[in-house]
Formats: sequence, structure tokens, C-alpha cells
Amino acid sequence: MISIKNVSKTYHNGTHALYDINLEIQDSEFVYIVGPTGSGKSTLIKLLDGEEIPSKGEVIVQGIDVGKLKHSKVPLYRRNIGVVFQDYRLLPRKTAFENVAYALEVVDAPKDELRKRVREVLKLVDISDKSNAFPSELSGGQQQRVAIARAIANRPKILIADEPTGNLDPKKSDEIIRLLEKINREEKTTILIVTHDIEIVRHHPKRMIAIDNGHVVADLAEGGN
Amino acid sequence: MFHRFFRHIKEGFIGVGRHFGMAISSASAVMITLVLIAVFVILTWNIQTVTSTIESSISIVASIDYEAESESSRSNIETAIKAIPGIDTVEFRDKDEEFTYYAEMQGEEERDFYEQYRSSNPFHDVFLVSVEDGLDIQEITSQIATINGVYGVYDGGTNTYTLVSLFANIRIFGGALVIALCLLATYLVYNTIKITIASRKDEIWIMRNVGAKNGYIRAPFLVEGVIIGGLGSLIPIILTIVLYYLMYDNLGGSLFGAFTLVEPFPFILYVALGLFVTGIGVGFIGSYISVCKYLRLRR
Repeated sequence: MISIKNVSKTYHNGTHALYDINLEIQDSEFVYIVGPTGSGKSTLIKLLDGEEIPSKGEVIVQGIDVGKLKHSKVPLYRRNIGVVFQDYRLLPRKTAFENVAYALEVVDAPKDELRKRVREVLKLVDISDKSNAFPSELSGGQQQRVAIARAIANRPKILIADEPTGNLDPKKSDEIIRLLEKINREEKTTILIVTHDIEIVRHHPKRMIAIDNGHVVADLAEGGN
Repeated sequence: MFHRFFRHIKEGFIGVGRHFGMAISSASAVMITLVLIAVFVILTWNIQTVTSTIESSISIVASIDYEAESESSRSNIETAIKAIPGIDTVEFRDKDEEFTYYAEMQGEEERDFYEQYRSSNPFHDVFLVSVEDGLDIQEITSQIATINGVYGVYDGGTNTYTLVSLFANIRIFGGALVIALCLLATYLVYNTIKITIASRKDEIWIMRNVGAKNGYIRAPFLVEGVIIGGLGSLIPIILTIVLYYLMYDNLGGSLFGAFTLVEPFPFILYVALGLFVTGIGVGFIGSYISVCKYLRLRR
């Protein structure tokens, strides 16, 4: 469970990114976070994955107070969270298989288990046939699938996708969202999608949290109520 | 565990390969500083040997009062001298030996001239005192002078003090220079690794993102730093060994015939080993500081 209590964030340069945010997200939920550029969405993600510390309030993820984590403990915490970005961020000199395997090597997974899990997630994101291709040989949608496979390889409890469809056309965007829904269903992963693409939310209605100017301006349950 | 260890080593080598030009330029910078370090170590070591030979030959001569020549007062004086801290050896020479010692320093004719006075020998019995540290000589001399039954003390005066403090300064200066050069080499490696890190920012970001611990991220860069430092030490090691042997042979083992050079074996091997360890050390420390600084800025 994610619980954000009275969280405010002010950066060192004086920018106020979030004001007194309160949110609760249950396990295995599928949530959209929408809002215009500069609304504080990215800050919210950074608070969740431990990259930033809240100026006020607490961020509790799976019972862990993220803002109070020691620097050296952040990596261990982060294994609970997978993050996917708009620009994929794959290692260009590694194949799709190696990119996914990388996430498991880093956490010291045994070799056999590693291979098995990589095949499994590549199959889950439906890109097994491209496992030996380098990122440059893949389309945007395919690269995003590899990035998603990498993010879920460690079986994180939470998957955060920051504008996952930002660089994709509507059809490919639709496929990616379907894939995330499938992961939500099959792996019971909590999914947080940050987006400003309202079309996606319309076609795949789920709980939607709207942020503007650092405030939560709407929190609508599935179906828009 | 081993698998992971070797992966870090491998990644380190790959890293060096990827930034080969930079690694080489940094290794050559390390090389130049190590050559300078080698030169200064060899210089100071040789000076050290020369000076300690000279220093150990400096001794204080304490002459004994004619009235205190009895066995018992002599041993009292000896005990008193030995009680002073910093004394190395105390040697007794009676007035007859003193007479011979000085007579033999003269020419043949003068010696005969001196010999006729042996019966009325004007010399004193003396203690020859050598000290552990040349810098203490003045202090010890004045302490010996206060001992009952000591007639006079001679240590060579101001010339000795100047010489001894000059030697000490040379040693301190050499040591300081070597430390400064080590710091310089560390800084050079630090900078190289900083650039390497900048060019691998994305990779580090991904590592952090999938939950790699700091040590895991650090390891390949440390290996890289060690490789650069090790590479940088190779040529200085070879140069040092070859040139020192050549110099030693050509000069016949001494400088201006007066100062004996330190024998190449095993001295030069120690220097070589020292250079290797220094190279690796500065590589390790330089890259460690660099990576830590980068990692600390990010959570």
C-alpha cells in the first residue's frame, strides 16, 4: 500500500512542487495520475522511488517511510519499485535479453533463475521473438515493452510508468496500456501511470488522480465518479 | 560471489577499453608523476644514507678533569652521560690513546717532535659520545657539560648544527614533495574517472533505478582506476630499474668518489614495488573519491 500524508515538497531553489498532498493507493490498484507539465507529477514519482525527500509529511510505501531511508538503503528499497520512462532508457550496447537480464544481475540473481525469469517477462510483454535485437533495431513500442519487462523483472510491488506512451502513436499507446493492465492482472503489481494523454484514460477507465499546481484537484474512482 | 567479482573486473577492463584514449592520457599523467616520485625517492634515500653515515660519525668529545681520573669518578661520569636520553654509544679513551690519536694525525717529523712530550702528556681522558638523532646534539652537549668532573665538551660547534639541520630539512622537503606528487597523481585519476562517470551517467542511472547498491555501481570504476594507476606505474618501474643500474655501474657506486650510492639490489626493487603500490593506490583512491562524490549527490 502507498500512503502519502500531508506531503509538501519545496526544492532548494525555492520552487514549490507539491502542497499538502494526501493520497492512499491500495495493493494491486491501477491508477492514473494526470496533470499538465509542471504540475508536480514528476516530483510525486521522485518521492515515491526515493530520489527526493519530502519537505513535510511522510511517504509510506509497503510500510517503509521513504523520506527517512538512509542513502545506502535506497537501492534495496527501490527493488520494490519498477519505473518506466517515456524515453525507455535502455542500454544501447545490450540486446533486449541482456537489458532485462541486467536488472536481475544487479540484484545478484542466480544464473539459471535469471535466464528463466528473463524469458518469462519477455514472453509476458510479448517480445520473445526480438530478444536478441539491440534497442536501435526495435521500434518505439517494442523498446517500451523491453523497458517494461526490465522494470517488472524483479517482481516489484509497484510499477510506475512516467508518460509511457509519450512517444507512441495511439495504436501503440493502446497496446502498452493493455500490457500494463495484463501485468496488473497477472502479477498483481500496483500500477501508477503518469500521463497527460486523456484519450488513454477514456479508453481504459480506472481510478484517476488529477494534479495541478502541486495540489490534488480531483480523485475519481473508476468510471469517473 | 566469485562470479560477481569477476564480472566487476571484466566491466572495469571493458570500461578502460571504451575510454581507451582517456585512460591512456590519464595513465601517462600518472606515469610522469610517478617518474618524478621515483627520482625524489631515490634522491632522498641516497641523501638519507649519506647523511646518516655522516651523522653517526659525529660524536661529542667530553674530556675529564685531571682530578676526576680515578676509576670510581670515571664510572660515575659514564653513568651520568648514559642517563641522558638520546645517547647512542659512550666510548672511553684514556689520555695515552688520545696522545697517540693526535700524534698520528700529524706528519712524520712532527710526530717525533710530539713523542718527546709523551711523559708529560697534557691530554685528558675522554668519553666519545655518539647520539641517536643529530638534531639533539646541541642539547646533549650542554647537558654533558654540567656533569661533575667533566672538564670540557666539544662537538664541532655551529658547523655541526647547521649541517645536521640541513640534512633534516632535505629529508623533510623530499618527503613533502613525494606526498605532494602522490596527491597530484590521485587528482589526475580522480578527474579521469569523473569524466568516465559523466559519459556513463545513463548506465549508472539505470543501475540505481533497478536497485543496484552503491558498492555494485562503484566496483567497475574502482577496477578502472586501479588499471589506470597500474598501467601508469609500468614505465616508471622499468625506467627506474634500468636507469638506476646504469647510473650505479657508470659511476662505480659512488658520487664524486665521496658519497656512496645505495646498492641497487634490493633497494631498487623496493622502489619499484613502492611505485606499483602507489600507482594502484592513487588509482583506487582517485576513482573512489570520484564515484562517491557522484553517488552522494543522488539518492
